[in-house]
Amino acid sequence: MTHEEIKIQLSALLDNELEPDEKRAVGEHLESCPECRREYSKLLKLKEVTSDMHYFDLPDRLRAGYWRGIYNRMERGTGWIVFSIGAIILLAFGAWELLNNFFLSDEPPLILKLGIGTILLGLIILIISIGRERLFSRAHDRYEEVEI
Amino acid sequence: MQVAAPKTELGDNDLAAQAMSGRISAFKELVERYQRRAYLYALGMVYNPDDASDLSQEAFVRVHKHLKRFDRKYPFKVWFFHILANLCKNHIRQRKTREKVIVGSSDEHDMAVPISNNPESIFDRTELQAQVWTAIEQLPEKFREIIILSHFQELSYDQMAEVLEIPRGSVMSRLYYARLKLREILEKMGVEL
Repeated sequence: MTHEEIKIQLSALLDNELEPDEKRAVGEHLESCPECRREYSKLLKLKEVTSDMHYFDLPDRLRAGYWRGIYNRMERGTGWIVFSIGAIILLAFGAWELLNNFFLSDEPPLILKLGIGTILLGLIILIISIGRERLFSRAHDRYEEVEI
Repeated sequence: MQVAAPKTELGDNDLAAQAMSGRISAFKELVERYQRRAYLYALGMVYNPDDASDLSQEAFVRVHKHLKRFDRKYPFKVWFFHILANLCKNHIRQRKTREKVIVGSSDEHDMAVPISNNPESIFDRTELQAQVWTAIEQLPEKFREIIILSHFQELSYDQMAEVLEIPRGSVMSRLYYARLKLREILEKMGVEL
């Protein structure tokens, strides 16, 4: 084992993360190497300093609204799903009714059917366009790349 | 949804299992257990208190949304910090991109980020500890991340390997070099260990 590898293991020894045989080997090396003993004591001192550092509690302003902030985000997500399902049902029903009672009916004049049909076609194109843009922005969502 | 419930002595994974079955009070308890650590981890990574609050809350929302994917063989905190660490990394990457666009800089080093973190607002600390925190803030992102996970979140090497998705051996060497760098910065600040 190289000297550098031993030094890396010193850090792991400090964290009690070495296997028994590795621990023994590093211990033996420490006995014969003053440089590594100095290195170990510096690492130990650093760990002692940080282990005495205790986090303060959250600022009051943040603690008070923390759970509410999370709950609101979760609730908003559920709200959007429920709203979307309702909207899809209504739209599907409306489209079915419009088709049967307006476009397939003999009563409305052809020009009216043509006008309303064109408006609806434009609306569909707009919805597709917005949907595509939404998909694009989702691909660039600030949190999208985050693995779960 | 039910919200109020007495505190339990259940482990994190049991609470996560209850949250999985729809008990919002169990999830709330998990949030209360981890909110301080989550916020302070994020603050240590991104410096900005508003971003830290946003990112740590987003991590909990992600956890709740994907609870079904949680593998109970592993500790909850490993999964949680994995999500939070990725959120922070993603945020830092995007901030660097924005800064490059605005400043036109090609400097990869994340020290271009203004440090607004006051150690006094984070730690109950001595002068030496305040200097250590200031030095930690100056570490490159990868080193800062592993120092915070190891020294302040007290994750084991195996847990850090899971969180950071690197082999255990890499955790060992990265932590050593992070400590070396930290000591070097402290020495430049005139702190002898």
